[in-house]
Amino acid sequence: MTGVEILLIAAFGGVLLTWFLGRVSSSAGSASAVLILLALTVLVALMYGGMSETVFYNGFFGISMSLRVNALSWFFAMATAVLACLSAVFSLDYMKGRRNTGFYYTMLLLVNAAMLGVVFSGDLLSFFIFWEIMSWSTFLLISYNRGPAVAAGMKYIVMSLIGSMAMLTGIISMFISFGTVNIAELSGMIPAASHGYQLFLLIIIGAAFGIKNAVMPLHTWLPDAYTEAPSPFTAVLSGMLTRMGVFGFLLIIYVMVGAGRVLQPAGSAVPAFNQVLAVLGAVTIVIPTFIAMLQNDAKRLLAWHGIGQGGYMVLGFAFGTSMGVAGGIFHTLNHAIYIVLLFMSVGAIQYRTGGVRDLNSLGGLIKKMPVAFIGALLGICGLIGVPLTNGFVSKWMIYKTLITGGAPFLAFAALIGSWGTILSVYKFLHNMFLGQLPSKYENIRQAPFSMKLPILVLSSAILLFGILPGLPLKVIDGIVVSFGFQSMDVSIWGIASETGMLNTVNLFAAIAAGTLVVLVLFRIFGKSVPVGQDDNYAAGAAVPRDRYSYTARFYDPLFRMISPYLKDVFSTLYDWLAGVTESFCGSVRKIYTGHISGYVMYIVLFISAMIFVQIVWSPW
Amino acid sequence: MVNPVLLIAVPLGLAFAIPLIDRIPGRLTRFVPVAATLFNLILCIRLVPAVANGPVIVEIGGFAPPFGINLYAGHLGLLFAGLISLAGLVVSIYSISYIRTGPRARYHMLYILLLVGATGVVLTGDLFNLFVFFEILCISSYALVAYHGDRSGLESSIKYLIQGSVGSSMLLVGIGLMYGMFGTLNMADIARSMAGMNDGAVFVPMILMVAGLGVEAAIFPLNGWLPDAHSSAPSSISAVLSGIAIEVGLYAVARIVFTVLGVSDIFLFLAFLGVLTLLIGEMCAFAQSNIKRMLAYSSIGQIGLILFALSLASGISVTGGLFQIVNHTLSKGLLFLSAGYLIYRSGSMEISSLHGMGRRMPLTSLAFTVGAFSLIGLPPFAGFPGKFLIVTGALGEGRTVISVLVGIVLLCTVIESAYFFRVVGALYFKGGKGEEGRQSAPSAAAAAMIILIVLILALGVYPKIAKTFLRFAASDLLDGVRYVGSVLG
Repeated sequence: MTGVEILLIAAFGGVLLTWFLGRVSSSAGSASAVLILLALTVLVALMYGGMSETVFYNGFFGISMSLRVNALSWFFAMATAVLACLSAVFSLDYMKGRRNTGFYYTMLLLVNAAMLGVVFSGDLLSFFIFWEIMSWSTFLLISYNRGPAVAAGMKYIVMSLIGSMAMLTGIISMFISFGTVNIAELSGMIPAASHGYQLFLLIIIGAAFGIKNAVMPLHTWLPDAYTEAPSPFTAVLSGMLTRMGVFGFLLIIYVMVGAGRVLQPAGSAVPAFNQVLAVLGAVTIVIPTFIAMLQNDAKRLLAWHGIGQGGYMVLGFAFGTSMGVAGGIFHTLNHAIYIVLLFMSVGAIQYRTGGVRDLNSLGGLIKKMPVAFIGALLGICGLIGVPLTNGFVSKWMIYKTLITGGAPFLAFAALIGSWGTILSVYKFLHNMFLGQLPSKYENIRQAPFSMKLPILVLSSAILLFGILPGLPLKVIDGIVVSFGFQSMDVSIWGIASETGMLNTVNLFAAIAAGTLVVLVLFRIFGKSVPVGQDDNYAAGAAVPRDRYSYTARFYDPLFRMISPYLKDVFSTLYDWLAGVTESFCGSVRKIYTGHISGYVMYIVLFISAMIFVQIVWSPW
Repeated sequence: MVNPVLLIAVPLGLAFAIPLIDRIPGRLTRFVPVAATLFNLILCIRLVPAVANGPVIVEIGGFAPPFGINLYAGHLGLLFAGLISLAGLVVSIYSISYIRTGPRARYHMLYILLLVGATGVVLTGDLFNLFVFFEILCISSYALVAYHGDRSGLESSIKYLIQGSVGSSMLLVGIGLMYGMFGTLNMADIARSMAGMNDGAVFVPMILMVAGLGVEAAIFPLNGWLPDAHSSAPSSISAVLSGIAIEVGLYAVARIVFTVLGVSDIFLFLAFLGVLTLLIGEMCAFAQSNIKRMLAYSSIGQIGLILFALSLASGISVTGGLFQIVNHTLSKGLLFLSAGYLIYRSGSMEISSLHGMGRRMPLTSLAFTVGAFSLIGLPPFAGFPGKFLIVTGALGEGRTVISVLVGIVLLCTVIESAYFFRVVGALYFKGGKGEEGRQSAPSAAAAAMIILIVLILALGVYPKIAKTFLRFAASDLLDGVRYVGSVLG
């Protein structure tokens, strides 16, 4: 038995164990969930650098189902396991006292186990099976909060199943054409197939990943799902689960169809797929980021950024140079870190304020919840891509690819996205932590330790990967090389490239020295006057508390200016389609009138019509 | 070697012994169906090795096949007989606690008769004998639909009776025409005579027989009775009607079209009819707010899917269709059984009244969820291998028209998932805050549901166990020459 088999047995066995313990006592269930996820993280970490492929199961009609370990799967598995573990720790206090926590932890572990299965699958059949388990267990978790969450879950599962059905068609079509579903064998065969067939596969399977990764115009499930799911699970959902779409795209584009085929135009339509994908990525960056600015719900704001950031990843890997692909993958990791951090900060505030996430009614919590503030600050810095945070490095790589690759418009779109991001996340940070403190939150307490721990771990990860990006980039370089691109010149402190190198350690030194100088000068010459927290916008004049809220209707003129242009037409379109389907089904139902004479008429008419057709046209 | 005729004779004897057993105090009658179906199940398992060496032919009364009636226990017949006894066993265990009021002795007697009729249909090798068993099946189900004796039950029973009788008359006319043309009613003998004939000549009797059987098989547009009958019958009977009766009807259609007549020209038409049935069934189910009617329409949809798979007439797709039959029997059985207690506890069939049942009846809700997921075709439940095989077989044809039909089939899966997930969401995530009134199902019902859950999971995780047998069953259905050879020697 190989390591990866033990890993998956532990993952799925842990689900059963947690379910059983959760029935006995809810604290035993949560403790076992955390311990199992910790053990899984260690197991995945131990598999570092491994390369193997093992057949683990022949029971499905004799199709050999296999698991394989390589750089790509290890990278995604590691991120999945760590984030799930942190999310479970965060859940300890967040979910305490809620009903049915055993169910919650069981499903959290099941989602995690299925994600590990997805990334370690060595063939498309097990990929699909794990993928579907992941989808339905996600539905159960999204709907966990009841109320509007049920509708959000429905939206998610229906879109997800449409994607799965497309993917199933593609997989079975490959199974028929090539007689195998093994990824390694297929990657030897698909490049020899006709261009048209390759394009068909890319589109039909890409549709599933496009839905999962919420690429416009397939994004409409995401805002509701992220908003309504329990916050620790939103973290998992936004961090890794949605990004299984990126994993899938990498698998189908670069592992199976092959980088050379996809990118070199040999009179085929296949390269066009990547160009279209890149443009869709750019659209996905711009529009959702600006829609995010209009949101007044903290989680919904982040959810729209989740869509927008997915656009950067797509733009990166669809551009298909080694730096672009590496940037896309690195951005996936970085985004996972900071978006999980941001959702956890929101979660901590929700926990202490009793579920409030309305940006119009919060404010001034910086002194009350400093750890959540640090998490949110570093999170938005990563999201914007401020130097010395991880988001900077991956965005730098993507920009660099776009500019040197001669795609100024796409680069411009990515830049516009960053501006929108800055505006909207400033609103996010300001309206929660800065400004006045509403008096009802006067006695609010710090987040509990189980929430502070993951927030601090992720905050330091943002800085660590921002200052020493070489740590993950070494692994990513291995992935890129395995796709058939040339290796990047990666060192522990940065990346060299033909147009100049990025040395984050020098950057760090410069910024640290600059900060130090300013700090020293201030200490020596500065005179500071401490002011109260409410004192910051009336030039010292007394303002009655709770009468004016600095945070309400933030960006109101901007809002009025841009909101007419930012209607989510696709969401409206899909809702309309669902409504039409529903009413159409309602009218189809009227076939069954309930009148026996009608039913007998159907029988007689059926027979007469058949005989009539045979006699008149005699098709035989 | 065990004689397949016992599969029919012993339960029939037990059924008629029930009025006598009812005289004994102690409510023994409710265990008689359990005994009968258990006996049949064991017999079927013991027949498996015998059938592996070729079909078992039983000559009734000692007359050789073209002259006498014969039973034909091949892989296919045995598969169905085994499935009938398995589903029958589970449902009869469930009925021990579920059937509490009304004329219980008659319920158990009719229930066994229904199963005997179904077993007879799948085992017989004679057309008229098939008609007779079919009538046994139908008449006992007419009576059982009206078991509660309430207005809606009686009304739908009468509707079912009228349509069933129209169907039976058509079937009888068709059989009569066949007898006139061939001078024999033995299925193998007709198949042998068909070999040299123009297919068009048998068109009229064939369409009469297909339409007649199609009423029971719930093929659109012959299935008007089904939503009423399945929703107003007791849930245990709905489970058997959905899980066994309509499948047996479909078996008869397939046996006549494939093996007896072997008319390949009608296959594409049947495939279209199957997809139409599927589409209409799923759309109607989507528009339902009554849970039993929703399940009934979903049965129509599943029948359409199975008909589509069978009429592709390739080894893989027919295997997939048979797998789907097994899955539908288990999953729809599970759905009706769990819905039975959900309705019993909530007092209403409206989905909106089932809110919060996930807390009040955890096991029953879990059973419903497993059945729903399996029917949608989500892994790791039994529905996925079936759907996988059907799509593989259909796309493997490589014909554009079939590929378009596959697209519609997959679209229907999405519609199906929408209404099933709506109910699952209602069970777990809506309404009912407190733990108020936690009432589990009685142990007999719980045992029945657990058996089905385990079987669905086992088939979903390890479909290989069923696959070998199903492939032989598929060739049993498709290979008319072998059928003739083994009966007539």
